[in-house]
Amino acid sequence: MAQYKPAESGDVSRLLAALQGMISAQLRHPQSAAGTLAVAFFLLLALFGPQLAPYPKANDQRHDPRVPPTLDIGAFKLGEHPFGTDRLGRDVYSRVILGAGSIFRIAGLGTLISVLAGSALGLFMGYQGGWVDEVIGRVIDALLAIPALLLALVLVGIIRNLDFEAGSWQAALADNVILLVISLLYIPIVARVARSTTLDIKTREFVEAAEIRGESKFYIIFREILPSVAPSLVVEASLRFSYAIFLVASLGFLGFGARPPSPDWGLMVNENRGGFYQLTPWALEFPALAIAILVIAVNLMSDGIRRAVQKGA
Amino acid sequence: MIKKNASPASDLSRREFLNIFAAGTAAAVGTVSLSGLHGIASAQDGAGLRIAWLTPATLDPRSASGDSEIAILNALYDYLIETDAAANLVPRLASSWAHSDDGLVYTLQIRDDASFHDGSPLTVGDILWTIAWHQESESTVASLLSSVESVDAAGDNAIAFTLNAPNPDFLYNLTDNKFVILQAGAENIGTAFNGSGPFALEELIPGDRAIMRANSIYWGGAPSIDRLEFIFFDDQQAGIAAVQGGSADGILRLDNSSFLGFGADVNFTATDIPTSGHHLTRLRSDRAPGSDLRVRKAFKLATDRDALWERVQLGYGAVGKDSPIGPAFGQYFLAEAEVPARDPEAAAALLAEAGYPDGLDMILHTPNSGTWPDLAQAIAAQWEEAGIRVEVQLEDENTYWAEAWMEVDLGVTGWGARPVPQLYLDLAYHSEAPWNESHYSNARVDELIEIARASLDQDERTAAYKEIQQILLDEGPVVVPYFFAQFMVLAGNVSGVELQPFGGRTNFNKAVVA
Repeated sequence: MAQYKPAESGDVSRLLAALQGMISAQLRHPQSAAGTLAVAFFLLLALFGPQLAPYPKANDQRHDPRVPPTLDIGAFKLGEHPFGTDRLGRDVYSRVILGAGSIFRIAGLGTLISVLAGSALGLFMGYQGGWVDEVIGRVIDALLAIPALLLALVLVGIIRNLDFEAGSWQAALADNVILLVISLLYIPIVARVARSTTLDIKTREFVEAAEIRGESKFYIIFREILPSVAPSLVVEASLRFSYAIFLVASLGFLGFGARPPSPDWGLMVNENRGGFYQLTPWALEFPALAIAILVIAVNLMSDGIRRAVQKGA
Repeated sequence: MIKKNASPASDLSRREFLNIFAAGTAAAVGTVSLSGLHGIASAQDGAGLRIAWLTPATLDPRSASGDSEIAILNALYDYLIETDAAANLVPRLASSWAHSDDGLVYTLQIRDDASFHDGSPLTVGDILWTIAWHQESESTVASLLSSVESVDAAGDNAIAFTLNAPNPDFLYNLTDNKFVILQAGAENIGTAFNGSGPFALEELIPGDRAIMRANSIYWGGAPSIDRLEFIFFDDQQAGIAAVQGGSADGILRLDNSSFLGFGADVNFTATDIPTSGHHLTRLRSDRAPGSDLRVRKAFKLATDRDALWERVQLGYGAVGKDSPIGPAFGQYFLAEAEVPARDPEAAAALLAEAGYPDGLDMILHTPNSGTWPDLAQAIAAQWEEAGIRVEVQLEDENTYWAEAWMEVDLGVTGWGARPVPQLYLDLAYHSEAPWNESHYSNARVDELIEIARASLDQDERTAAYKEIQQILLDEGPVVVPYFFAQFMVLAGNVSGVELQPFGGRTNFNKAVVA
């Protein structure tokens, strides 16, 4: 049944085989398959949003304001404004599609950065051990003790209020503050997972063999240990991605994330609550639905990945 | 040179001036019970009216500014003079007034039938004491009266203000929201309320409600309702929900979208009137690019004011004509002015002529509250078609008004409603005005502002105001897309309440509950 076997040597082709096994195991569970498909669908929207959206400019207001949705599911008809238009006359359907790009860019890139950096840090800590592991480990523990959203709000608040010279690298960093915050929040979490798996792997014979061969530390960590740690990192990455989506949406909703007129889903929910919810409920409901579906889909997908990895092990 | 006395609000903080946005927050206001008062309706329940307000933060007349705070003062105390929805002066404690030919002495006749809730009569002495009290504590009322050389009793029932320079708007200073008349020697002001107003306080429960009883010996006649209750909410939506659910009979502070919802409901009477409060975008005109008239014209040509009014204010209030003087000022408003139709191509051509063939990239600084962000997004979309690409940058209000506001090149600003146009001109459009946010300097506009400030000739003032509006429309640094509305929603069985442009000054003593 299980095609995945833990890579016992530094062979990269073994790792690829393992990933392939995970994907086919994934498809055998309908929920996981549905989740993966939905994520793929949103990824398509994110990549080709400007081509797919009827009105590719996020702040295009050349429509009548407050038009109700024309979507007719029974008749398979989208109509002029499938999700209606908002208070300023923007096509909600287009904005939801365009919003996929912003959430994937921030949550996806943030996850990628934190997985890469966190893995490297965790592998190094785990393999090195000793006081290095001890000191970094305590710092990570301290960071993890602070609630993520709270830490995110504080960091965004501080960085946004710093005065940087326009065009400097600090200003560029401040412009991507959400990305920075996600990376900072998730690097310690990923590092901890990578470290604990490394502790287990580094006592195996093939690692000792490499050490006896006199391989460099860099070679041992990345060619011998990493392939064995990778499956659990893939699971962690998918989990981090779903949390990152939620965090980006929450920050947008709280007014700390994307700035108007960005088609950020969380921001759209925030802008259309209060009195506008009675007037144009669709302008809130469709982006909220998009957040919900994407978060559930990513969770189903990561569930499938985890199952495959556990079965393999 | 702008005279200190001509900008009476220059001592106010920016935030205070914008008090149309001021939201009261819960603060300790002592619980007070009054007993043994004369003429106060007995405790059994007759017809009552319950109005939802935001929680007041203070009831001290020196610092009260939010709607709910002023509403309580307005019910418990009397003003000398008030204004109506068309900005006309209306007698209250002062029954009539006159000024000397040189415009330096204003004499007000004071009613002789007004008395405080404890039964003692209200006299000229109480008014003089109130003014002295403000001056002693250097309150904003004192700064409003800084042009007054002396105040004296003129006989038993009259009071005379002697000014050091003519000020045709002087009587409007006396209508200020904070200028309620206290009893001479009053103590615990802000927690004890022995006023002369149409209602007397029965109980004030901090953070919950103020319960007031009709003052049956009120000089204007006993109120038609026995009980007036102001119920406090920490946010607007909660107050709206209370009105929808029937636990309150009315509300005067609500957002446009909620108001639109009430308008369609037959169980409620929804009223709206335009005010002089407005939003504007302003371009610094003392340096590039705003120093070039063609650039300023391009911004104006790129803007569709009707669309902004329709979308951001949902069509409530009134469309603006790029000056702070709107229809709420009646005769002063240049109603006949033609606003050029939006023409993005012509705007782009003007920019090219001014040396910006590829358009402009600018940051639009926008305070992060209310409908400011909506206006910024809407106007950004319009301007983009003319090649004016702006990035909306939301600013934290507290730091923005304190620091960056006067410095930035392009920004969105809101100005609260005021009863006379002179205030806006003195504060923001004269080249030496303290809040000349666009750094605008036009010798003719300065001259006209000075004429309007001092002239006692009504026709001359009107002409000056109209010429200012035409100049600002043609070449000024601001785009005023709209004036806000003031709203009121009352349950269908309530009538007799006349809404005022500043909601807190709405009187409830003629209210009828069927």
